[in-house]
This record gives sequence, structure tokens and C-alpha cells, in this order.
Amino acid sequence: MNVQPDLEFIKYLKTAGGDTLKKCYQCATCSVVCPLSTDTKPFPRKEMIWAQWGLKDKLVADPDVFLCHQCGDCTAYCPRGAKPGDVLGAIRAYAYTFYGWPSGLAKLASSAKGLPMLIAIPTVIMLVLWIVSGGMVIPSAADFSTYGYQRFFGHWDFHWLSKNVFVIDVVMLSAAGLAVVAAYIGVTSMWKGMKENAGIKSAFRPTLVQFVTEFLWPSVLEIVQHTRFKECKANLDRVQGHLPLMLSFIGLFIVTAWSATANDVLALIPGLKFLHGPMSVWNPVKILANVSAVAMIVGIGILWSNRSRKEAEAGVTPTFYDWFLIWEIMAVGVTGLLAEIARWAGLAAPGYIIYFIHLVAVMMLFMYMPYTKFAHLVYRTFAMAFERYRESSFGKSL
Amino acid sequence: MTDEQGTSGAILVVGGGISGLTSALEAAEVGNDVFLVEKNAYFGGRVAQLNQYFPKLCPPSCGLEINFKRVKDNRRIRSYSMTTVKAVSGTPGNYEVTLETAPRYVNANCTACGDCAIACPDEIDNEFNLGMNKSKAAYLPHEMAFPRRYVINKAGLSAAGAAAVKAACKYNAVDLEMQPETKTIKVAAIIWATGWTPYEPTKMDNLKFGQSNAIVTNMMIERMAAPGGPTDGAIVRPGDGKQPESFAFVQCAGSRDENHLEFCSYICCMATFKQMTYIRERYPEAKIYVFYIDLRTPGKYEKFREKLMADKNSTFIKGKVAEIIPEADGGVTVVAENAVTGEKIKQKVDMAVLATGMQPSLAVQGAPVALNMDKSGFIISDPDKGMIAAGCARKAADVVTTNQSSTAAALKAIQVSRRS
Repeated sequence: MNVQPDLEFIKYLKTAGGDTLKKCYQCATCSVVCPLSTDTKPFPRKEMIWAQWGLKDKLVADPDVFLCHQCGDCTAYCPRGAKPGDVLGAIRAYAYTFYGWPSGLAKLASSAKGLPMLIAIPTVIMLVLWIVSGGMVIPSAADFSTYGYQRFFGHWDFHWLSKNVFVIDVVMLSAAGLAVVAAYIGVTSMWKGMKENAGIKSAFRPTLVQFVTEFLWPSVLEIVQHTRFKECKANLDRVQGHLPLMLSFIGLFIVTAWSATANDVLALIPGLKFLHGPMSVWNPVKILANVSAVAMIVGIGILWSNRSRKEAEAGVTPTFYDWFLIWEIMAVGVTGLLAEIARWAGLAAPGYIIYFIHLVAVMMLFMYMPYTKFAHLVYRTFAMAFERYRESSFGKSL
Repeated sequence: MTDEQGTSGAILVVGGGISGLTSALEAAEVGNDVFLVEKNAYFGGRVAQLNQYFPKLCPPSCGLEINFKRVKDNRRIRSYSMTTVKAVSGTPGNYEVTLETAPRYVNANCTACGDCAIACPDEIDNEFNLGMNKSKAAYLPHEMAFPRRYVINKAGLSAAGAAAVKAACKYNAVDLEMQPETKTIKVAAIIWATGWTPYEPTKMDNLKFGQSNAIVTNMMIERMAAPGGPTDGAIVRPGDGKQPESFAFVQCAGSRDENHLEFCSYICCMATFKQMTYIRERYPEAKIYVFYIDLRTPGKYEKFREKLMADKNSTFIKGKVAEIIPEADGGVTVVAENAVTGEKIKQKVDMAVLATGMQPSLAVQGAPVALNMDKSGFIISDPDKGMIAAGCARKAADVVTTNQSSTAAALKAIQVSRRS
């Protein structure tokens, strides 16, 4: 076999938490103790040698890299301290940058060096919009208690769409849209690579409905139930943080979707004008929002403390890849909750500043999703779908 | 030779296995006085427990017997069994060492007639056979034990047993009132030949030792294969006595593993090849599966490996066993990933042999004095201080290497003794 090692790739892995990868001596303990590894395609032993050899193309199109949940069982039993779980995490970090589109933005999001820029971009956009919208006014106490943050970007008397919603839609939908496009491009490219690597040359392709019902939806269900995550032994405590966090995201997605529908569509119907916010604290949607916000902070807090402890006790290498997402989610949760508390307390000026930071944090979460650790939510889902696809009749080569 | 009046030219050898015997003999035959102390009731150490040993696959009686004879015939060697070092004081060239001899409860009158064992109603676990069978509480540690004198395990003796044993002895050799004795000796240098202990197999929780009779260690195979062992040479499954039709050897069980022994134990690959020959002698058709990371055949043993790898009923799989599942029929399933084919293997076998490694004994029981040790517990020689390591106390090694290092240690010790 003619091996062309990609030295830059190996160097990158070493800086991204995979500094131990060269210690691996291929005993294959990891593949046996891994609770997620299958009998026919066990991992992560093969990924370790591919990584040592710098076989980047094989790794970024290897579903097993994404199926790994970093349980840490392999790392606990590894006789050499090669930490296969951490190495696979580093490979995933690399893959998100590799598939990232546009590549400049993806690179920016891949290291701490880019952090000032990552914060500056949404801050400037938000600031400009705040200024241009003419809303950069701290409201009176009365207005604040009536409208909350509904007139953050100002107010016009245009019946069909409030100015605030308009500005937020423009910026957040653009950011989210960019993320969706980027994720689509990345996942498509990954899928193609996986198909090639698996040698699938099937003449038949599943229809969209088949794809969703047979491969994607079962994977989503599995993820929501954390079926695989719960098989972890060494790092099972991560489930306690990840599960509430994931549920909080689902909860907040429902809240956002409902708010958008209620504010922008239903409230336009005469007689349903009361659907304009802010909602009462006892509104079921608001309750869901608040419960989700608390779940988010608790969940990310658990993950935060787990990771700090692992770094202090087990010698886990701290990486920008892991911490950026933790900080970002914590920022979204804390600023969101604080903004709400400020509204209850009638503190308009601090409230507005916190709300501004909240908007910046949310925009960062959306915009950088495909390039940061957050990307696992699409890449892992599709890798799990690919695993089902590979095992199905579509995956059998003719 | 006068241990009472201070013989600063003397050498203390701690440990009476193949390494300590060699060091003691080499030093004594050059003309130094030697104290040879051994913790067990017999000399010969781990080699005495083997069925056969390298390089020539002799039974241990072969090499040990001649060494015992040399020790007996050499007036410069004073040997003490059941004796340990309690304290060391003084300076290099002039150490004062406190030795403690545990009570044997049998004095020098013993002729090893064996009447006490016949009369003794009480049984204890046979430690020499790794607990695989029982011995009487009054016993000879093993068939070729040197010194050839019985031992009484007082804790394992009932009141009736004590009376029976006393009454059975025609030579008035049983003395149940015996107390520990301490003595102080003066020596110039100390050779630490404290040897090794098989790594505790229950520490590898994924290998499930103790949860199935089908899981044994390589040292247990040695005892079973030995003519004087618990099964008189039969390799059978403990408990049900089944003659296994299939075996799995689990290499590096605890060795080359920073969670256990971070070093290569050196001997386990060769021990497995050797034990494959034991199995072939008894079961020509048995299936043998050897799971390994790398096969290491140091020195001149490459041909031996080639011969065994050519065996048509043996399969070698590159991949470490990381899980063993006890099965209802008394066998076990070993699980590994074949790193060559990239597939997981689940092999059902009648017996799994854990090739456990050697842990320096002082790492298990602690050193009586502060010694320069590496983090695994191997002693690093310090000739300037007259503290010299030999054999497996120094590094994991086979008998040949051990004898070389023991001879070298003797020379270092002699140099210290002449210097002072």
C-alpha cells in the first residue's frame, strides 16, 4: 500500500486534543470495549492507525468517526494513554472545518485565534442594525413594562409586520439560512465520500420519502432517546447534561416557531391581535420557554463541570473546539434568562444591553453551527442515517 | 566465617530464587562470605514452580538441584529460609542488617519422613500450587523442596491436629512454641534478588478472572503441567476437570498497559509458546487460539516460534482480548478485534489462559529499606551504596538473562566488599 501521509492533518489533530494519537500501538482493546462499536466494522482502532498515517480522506468520510459519542470507555481501558475518544473528537473537529462552506468562515471558527473575529462579526451587524433601525433608545419604564423587548429595534405603525420582528427575521433568518445551506453542502459532500468509501454503487436511490422514513427519522428518534449515549460507561455522566440540553433546544425551537407564527401570522388576523407579545408568564408557551431556558443552563452547566473535572483529574486536554460551544450555549442561556429577569425587575437600561448581547450570542450559535462542535447535530445524524442506508438494500452494491 | 564478629567483607543476598542462588554462588565461589536469605520455606523461587523452563525446556530440578548442591557444599554460604530483612543501617561497605526468621515449627531434627503430614487432619490451600489444591497443615512445600524439612502452618492447625502432629513425629522435631528470631549481621553489600510475583489477574476487570473456572493464568498451567502439581500433570479445567478441546491464550494480560504493568514482561510470549507444547503433548488435536499485540521472541527463540506457528490446529490473531464472557457450559467466549482483517472475533473456548506478567515483588510487598526504584518498582542498582539489583527485581527477564545479571551483580558486590 502506498501511503501518502498528510502531515498538516496530523499536526492539526495534535493541536485539537489528539496529541496522544501517536501513542497507539494497535492492540485493538478500544474496539472491543467500545459499547457502540459493531462486530463487522469495529472502531476506533482503525481510525487510530489512519490518523497516525495521516489518511485524512478516509477519515472525513468514515461514518464511525461521527458515530462515536466520546463515551471515553476506550480511553479508560487504553493501555497506552492514546485516548482514542479524544482523537476521534479531534478528527470530527477537523471534518467540520473540512466540509465547512464558505471555507474562510469555517477556518475562522476552527481555532481560538479566530475568536475576536467570531464575536466581532455578529456584534457589528447587530450594532449597525440597532443604529440604522433607529431603535437605539432606552425605553421609559412604562413602555418597558408594556412592550418588553418588542420595540428593541424601534417601532412603526405598519400593521402587517412589526419592525422588531422584521429586523430580527432579516438577521436571524439570514444567519440560520447560511447555516442550513452550509450544512447541506457539507453533509452532501460527506455522504458522497462515505458512499465512495463504502464502495456503494447502487443503481437505485431512495426517494426523499424513503430516505426520511427509513433512514433519517429512525436516527432522529434514536438521538432524542439517547439510546446510544446511554450505553456509555466511563462518561455516562455526560448524558445527564446532554439530555436536558438537547431537550431544551427542542423546547426552544418549538417556542420560537410558535412565536414566529403567532406574532407574524396569526396576530395579523383581526381579533387575534392579543397574540402579540410579550406573553404572560402563565402562557403554556412561555412556561415551556422558561423551563427550557433553565434546562439549557443546567444541562450546559453539568457538561461544563464534567469537562473541567475531566481536565483536572483525567488529564483531558482542553480544546477551543469543546469550550467554544460550552461558552456559547452558556452565554445564550444566561443572557436570555437575565434579560427576562431585567424585564420583570423593570431595569430597562441593563435589560437592553443584556438583550443586545443575547442577540449576538444567538446569532453566533446559528451562524457558526456548521463549523463548530455544534455541527455534530447534523453530521452525526446523517452518519447514523448513512449507517442505516449502508445496511439497507440500497447499500448493497450490484 | 563469623557473622557475630562483623565481617564487613560479606555479601547479603536477599531472595533465594534462581537469581539469588546464582549471585550467592558466584560471590562465594570467588571467596566472599555470603548470607543468602529467602522469605519462603524453600529455595528455588518461581523457577521451582515451573514445569519446564528455557532455554532447554528442562524441568526445574535440572538446574536447581545442582545449585542446591553447590550451596550445601560451600562453607562460605549461610542460607536462611523463612527469613526476611527487617532493617538496614550503617554505611556502604559496613551495613548492619537485621534479619527475622519466621517460626517454622519444625526444628533441625526433621528427617522429612512425612509421618506428621500423614497424621495431620487439617488441610490448607496449597500456595505452591497457587491454591488449586489442598495440602496438609504440616507439609513439605513441594517434592524437591530445599531445605528438605517440613513446615507447619500453625494458623491452619486445630488443637487435635497439633496433638496428632506432635505425637506422629518420632524425632521430636515438632516445636509449636517456636518464636520469630531476629539476628543482626554485618555485610559490605546487598544484592536484591527479590524476584517477581505474577500480576494479580482480578485487577483486569474486563478479563473476569475468578468469575469462571475456565479462566486460568499461565502460572496455573505450569503447575497443572508439572508432574508434582495439583493434577499430576493433567491440563484440565479447574472445577469440572474437563479436558479442554480448545484454548485461547490472552497475551499481554496486564503487561504493556499503563493501567497495570506499563512494561513488557518479556517472558509471556515464550511462556505461551512453551505451554502450547504442553498442550500438544496432551491434546494433539486441540484448537489453540493465541491473541496477541506483538509476538516477542527475544534472543535465539525465533525458530521455536516458527515451529509453533506452523501448527495446523493453532491460530494466531493480532488483537488483544479485551473482554471475556463466561458461558453456561463452563467455557468462555473471548472477544477481540482482528487488527489485520478489521473484524471483531468472538471465539468460544473451553479454557482461556491469561498470560499475566511479572510484577517486581517489592512493588507488591514493599521494600524494607529505601531503595532506588523506577516507578514500576524495579530496583535501580546503586553500586556506590553497595545496593545491587539482580534478576527480575531489576527488570522483567527470563532465566538466562537473570543469571547473567545475577553474575554481574555478584561482581559488583565483590568490588564493594574489596573496596572497603
